[in-house]
Amino acid sequence: MAALAAAAVAVGLEFPPLVKGPITPEELKAYAAASGDPNPMHTDDEFARNAGYPGVFAHGMLSMGWLGQFLVQAAGVGSIRRFRARFVKLTWPGEVISCRGRVTHVTDEGGERLVECEVWSENQEGERKVTGNALLVLPRR
Amino acid sequence: MPSREMIGRVLSTGSATVSAEHIAEFARALGDPNPLYLDTEAARRGPYGTIVAPPTYPIAFMTQAMAGGMDTFLELGLDFMTLVHGEQEFEYARPVRAGETLTLVGRIADVYEKTGSSGTLDFVVLETEARDAEGTVFLSRNTLISRRR
Repeated sequence: MAALAAAAVAVGLEFPPLVKGPITPEELKAYAAASGDPNPMHTDDEFARNAGYPGVFAHGMLSMGWLGQFLVQAAGVGSIRRFRARFVKLTWPGEVISCRGRVTHVTDEGGERLVECEVWSENQEGERKVTGNALLVLPRR
Repeated sequence: MPSREMIGRVLSTGSATVSAEHIAEFARALGDPNPLYLDTEAARRGPYGTIVAPPTYPIAFMTQAMAGGMDTFLELGLDFMTLVHGEQEFEYARPVRAGETLTLVGRIADVYEKTGSSGTLDFVVLETEARDAEGTVFLSRNTLISRRR
């Protein structure tokens, strides 16, 4: 795994983006099954339309899952100590989603480097869908 | 209407055994090809010696951890038509491992309201805690928001 070297981390560092999509309804069905989320709002177009939406939309947790993949891709499995997300706008089938993030604060504690970062997902127009932050812990070596 | 007296109420307790197959299904649903989630051999050589789960995998325990909470949900009086998952937070001691059995506790962690120009919003934070013999493995906090009728 591409583990992030603690010495290379500085405030403002941007992690390599992760691009997902275009999102398909089949993907939403697969995520619903795997995560155990029974809400038909994500899998049944007619149900979503009856609730006043143009159709199904993605689970917030699918977008957060992609942000998790993005963070692990940058810092390695087991590096995340805390991870928060706010679901700001709905994410729709057909959209292409980029996961992005950057380092906002770095402190050293014992043999570890604590790295605060802000993360977000945005569509192809740059509209932010999910915003959040994470605390990564890296060995200082 | 949600009441702050409900903070701390335990909705259910139980246990769950994590399977490598389910972790793989979850990782594939995310389109995440990380071999530590999918490949037994690669995972054996990895830092945990076994398959581990992606960081948002704990959400898959939520249904079980909140089972038995239906009476409480009715008591909360949330409007299910306007209910949305507004925020999510995880704290981790380490990744979840395939094969382990975790003790799960589901509880109401917080209840609050915010009033603005468009009316009052009720916030309920549902928390799932998973423990092993050493202590907490993860905390998962799910903030639900509903518009007061």
